[in-house]
Amino acid sequence: MEELEMKKEEAVDAELPLDKNVRLMSPTRMVVRRFFRSRLSIIGLIMVVSLFLFSFVGPLVYTQWGEIELDESGKTEYASSVTTYTVDGEEYTVRQTTEKYLKDNFLSAPSSEHILGTDNEGYDVFVRLMYGGRISLIVSFIAVFLITILGVVLGGIAGYFGGAIDNIIMRICDVLMCLPGVPILLIISTILDASDIDAKYRIYLLMIYLTFISWTGTARLVRGQILSLREQEYMVAAEAMGYSTSRKIFKHLVPNVMPQLIVQMTLSLGSMILYEATLSYLNLGVKAPYAAWGTMINIISTNQDVLQNHWYVWVPAGICIVIAVLGFNFVGDGLRDALDPKGRR
Amino acid sequence: MFKYIVKRIAYSVLILLGVSLIIYFLIRLMPVDFIQDKINAINQGGATVSEETVQAMYEMYGLGDNSVKGILKGYFSWLGALAQGDLGTSFVYGIPVARVITEHMGVSFAVSLIATVFEFLIAIPLGITAARHQYSLRDYIVTILVMIGISLPSFFFGQMLKDVLALKLGWFPPSGLVNATASYNGIQLLLDQMYHMFIPILTIVILSIGARMRMTRTNMLEVLNSDYIRTARAKGLKESVVINKHAFRNTLIPLVTSLAGLLPSLFSGAIITEQVFDLPGIGNIALDAMNRGDIPFIMGYNMFLALLSVLGVLLADLMYGLVDPRVKLE
Repeated sequence: MEELEMKKEEAVDAELPLDKNVRLMSPTRMVVRRFFRSRLSIIGLIMVVSLFLFSFVGPLVYTQWGEIELDESGKTEYASSVTTYTVDGEEYTVRQTTEKYLKDNFLSAPSSEHILGTDNEGYDVFVRLMYGGRISLIVSFIAVFLITILGVVLGGIAGYFGGAIDNIIMRICDVLMCLPGVPILLIISTILDASDIDAKYRIYLLMIYLTFISWTGTARLVRGQILSLREQEYMVAAEAMGYSTSRKIFKHLVPNVMPQLIVQMTLSLGSMILYEATLSYLNLGVKAPYAAWGTMINIISTNQDVLQNHWYVWVPAGICIVIAVLGFNFVGDGLRDALDPKGRR
Repeated sequence: MFKYIVKRIAYSVLILLGVSLIIYFLIRLMPVDFIQDKINAINQGGATVSEETVQAMYEMYGLGDNSVKGILKGYFSWLGALAQGDLGTSFVYGIPVARVITEHMGVSFAVSLIATVFEFLIAIPLGITAARHQYSLRDYIVTILVMIGISLPSFFFGQMLKDVLALKLGWFPPSGLVNATASYNGIQLLLDQMYHMFIPILTIVILSIGARMRMTRTNMLEVLNSDYIRTARAKGLKESVVINKHAFRNTLIPLVTSLAGLLPSLFSGAIITEQVFDLPGIGNIALDAMNRGDIPFIMGYNMFLALLSVLGVLLADLMYGLVDPRVKLE
């Protein structure tokens, strides 16, 4: 048993009482220990933390460029054409080179000036990665937070009261689960188009709508747990103590659901980041000139030249998404194993 | 059994009604003058939306009358049309939405079907090896690889495959479904289409293996820990017999159930993948319709998807009762 871990250095002293001989560990500490024993969860944690630092501290440290600051240092583009004339049987080749001066320094390759070059508009890719990370992380945290609140409240009520209330809430769940995700967001996005909303806040509204249809998973999880928990003796005791219903639900039942809930939340952070990126990629979420990882990849769906010849514009954003989602998935998996009392590893 | 099926079907109809209520509510949220703007934009874009089509849509959804009675009347008239399979007329295509859907469903179905077959063929053996060698190096490698697969955004990975395999190496065509310059027919046309579908299918398979593999692994682990497996081993059966005959059969139950649930969704189309590779599937069409403001089509498409997922749940439930004798149907 891990709760009673024998001290390794000293042999057990039979004279001492038991509690001096063993080191007691709180459940939380055990979970933390088990979590850090897994290499994958440490890697995941490092990935997530470094992305956070990159997006939130990064722009404070690296201030050469702003999110929507164009590099207007200009750029000269050369285009040459070769024409061949035949005069009196002799061939003349004329090479004509035109020099075009452009105001914005767009699509410049990575250099000391721009760590990851500039995109097709002339914005610094590296800096936009940081700002894009901010949006993606904030938006998914808000979405997961709202989903959890809705899910816990509705799932808790359904599980605790049962009967007709349970039936109604669960039937709403069934209906919402049959709604198609992205296509419904296509409609909602059209509605948002109808009511002029600042491009900056659009993604937040969209994600709030998304929470209205995605709380069902959490609600089912909470309900299932509470259904089994409410039959246990300690709940009878709580009943006998005359506690109020809300106290019984939120103080006695919900904390027992926390382990599964935390795992679910971590894993859905990853899927929310994917959702946000997909929406932005489809140009429904964060719109230019503001940056989001998905928005930064959007350009290649219309511009083949960028796709083929300017990897630095879109590949870094994709890698950031993968790191974020993978990080949250690793952490979530690690937490699941660590929180499982049956897991003995 | 018969009673159970009837009950489940009645229940599915109720869910569909709920879904239709939400979708109807969403269209009512659209301001009428916004819809008119969209129609004007389509008209300017070359296509012509006939006055009749617009009138028919207004009538079908009962738009314009914002009293409670008007909304209710609109909902029921829309529902009545739906029940007869009438999803309205597409603004962009000028033909009934149902026909647009059936015309483009085939491509999506072919891509998803082939992808699903490969997904199961690859994910199940991977899941079984990972479970048999739990916590071994093999388990870790497989788990990490499929986790990366799960974490890849489809648009990013699809574009990457397209860039490398199609544009840089030139092994496969980058987009479309048929070679526009050649006029194939018969078996050649089919082969050409397969050739075009290769990267989209590869994308979908790599992204979806993960979930299936993890599901197989979890189920297999559960089965391997059960008593009858210990008995089989104690009897001195060969390990291959224990795994393939005793354990694997029970892991099949959830797999078969999920396959039944998947069946209808094969028709729904993969929006992102189809968009990336410009396949004329239903998902790509829907995205295009959205961008152009083809409201009847988006509505019809959403109803169609809801119908498919309700059917999926129904089939999965029925299948579960059918393949697992331990499940009692009330």
